[in-house]
Amino acid sequence: MIKTIAKPAERKITACGECRSTCQSACKTSCTVGNQSCERITREERPDKETK
Amino acid sequence: MVHIFNYKNNYYIYDVGSGSLHECDENTAKYLLAQQGEKVDISTITEEEIKEIEEGVAALKKEGLYEKEEISAYPMKSGDVKALCLHICHDCNLRCRYCFADEGAYHAQREFMSEQTAKRAIDFLIENSGNRKILEADFFGGEPLMCLKTIKNVVAYAREREKQTGKKFLFTTTTNALLLNDEAIEFFNAEMENVVLSLDGRKEVHDAIRKTVNGKGSFDLVINNVKKFVQSRGDKSYYVRGTFTSKNLDFSNDVIFLAENGFDSISMEPVVTPIEDLAIKEEHLSSICNEYENLCEKYLDKYKKGEGFNFFHFNIDLEGGPCLSKRVSACGAGNEYFSVTPNGDIYPCHQFAGEEKFLMGNVYEGKINADIRKQFATSCLFTRKKCDGCFAKFICSGGCSANNYHYTGDIETPYEITCEMMKKRAEIAMHILAEKKRIKK
Repeated sequence: MIKTIAKPAERKITACGECRSTCQSACKTSCTVGNQSCERITREERPDKETK
Repeated sequence: MVHIFNYKNNYYIYDVGSGSLHECDENTAKYLLAQQGEKVDISTITEEEIKEIEEGVAALKKEGLYEKEEISAYPMKSGDVKALCLHICHDCNLRCRYCFADEGAYHAQREFMSEQTAKRAIDFLIENSGNRKILEADFFGGEPLMCLKTIKNVVAYAREREKQTGKKFLFTTTTNALLLNDEAIEFFNAEMENVVLSLDGRKEVHDAIRKTVNGKGSFDLVINNVKKFVQSRGDKSYYVRGTFTSKNLDFSNDVIFLAENGFDSISMEPVVTPIEDLAIKEEHLSSICNEYENLCEKYLDKYKKGEGFNFFHFNIDLEGGPCLSKRVSACGAGNEYFSVTPNGDIYPCHQFAGEEKFLMGNVYEGKINADIRKQFATSCLFTRKKCDGCFAKFICSGGCSANNYHYTGDIETPYEITCEMMKKRAEIAMHILAEKKRIKK
């Protein structure tokens, strides 16, 4: 039995450059892209999502 | 590529090409691993089960969620500058043993950035930002709060420039919190998009490394400042950011200590240092991976009790995560992101500051060394050949260029110890994502 937990949402916009640089997100040594969300999607489509 | 893994008897399938995550039972995981050529005993799996597994896989393939072809090239990168790290001072009021910046001095004389140079850096960023609207500047040191007046004046200047240019600045400050008084708190809450506060966790852990100029531990001098700031922060972003070394491989206790002191946005990073008795080495990897598992259990316990917190490296957003452009190009150091030292010199990022080989120009000259920039602009996930077969490549983007360079001598070659920690955190982050969904149901 295989059950999908998560799959990427379809994107209307990509590479807009509006997100913060990875290096400025948390630590300035090993900040990782995959630990972030798309800030545009968060802002426009999921305003209730915690963004800290 | 499909990564099948078992975490505490939970079986997961991560499809690298699509970025989708699935769960399955043990027999399905075994069968799929056998299909990948792994030596797994599948003699107990019945024909009926195999049929069901293959039907499930076929359905995922139809949706593009299994063995989806991975992108191996991407049109990039813009020549626009997006962010600057402003080394507002190369001096610090602490003397932390593990400091990569030579306890604030960056292997040179202790100095402060003039207001004029900082403003010139803001102009340099605007001039080189092309059509980008959102720009970022972070105040870094040394200890930026030793220069609060300069920071205030530079932010005011940038706000004026916003009105003239239509740009929007997002500011960040990284501080040790020693000088985080009411004036600084009020200013940060008004102007800083993000604030990173250095605190290593338990008092004895923090004090063993993060010492004042007089050699005394700084924990008691900063903890109340950090608490006061966080309590005043409201919904705005901050991170309480610790460092673990080989001396506190039980760092889950430090993360939980921070969470139990009221901090709900935490990161805890492996130290980057050549100092023999603090450095993370291969012999520590097993303990560190176990400790990430301990932290995962404690993290989920707190989540279940309604005391959840944000731990940066356990975040993974597989539904609305970063776009491919970002996953491939990572932080953009040396191309869209630079650091500027107190005299205006430009380097690919703060971790290259002071290394003559990577000096890229000066904000007063207004030009960036094209050769060095090309080296960084063309460096991306796809040029890091060691990453080709790694399941986590679209999560970590091939690692930090500075980390790669300092450990392997080449920005393109990832450091294997960092890779192993990264992969462990990625698997745990996926497990946490699945667990949270199960709990919510």
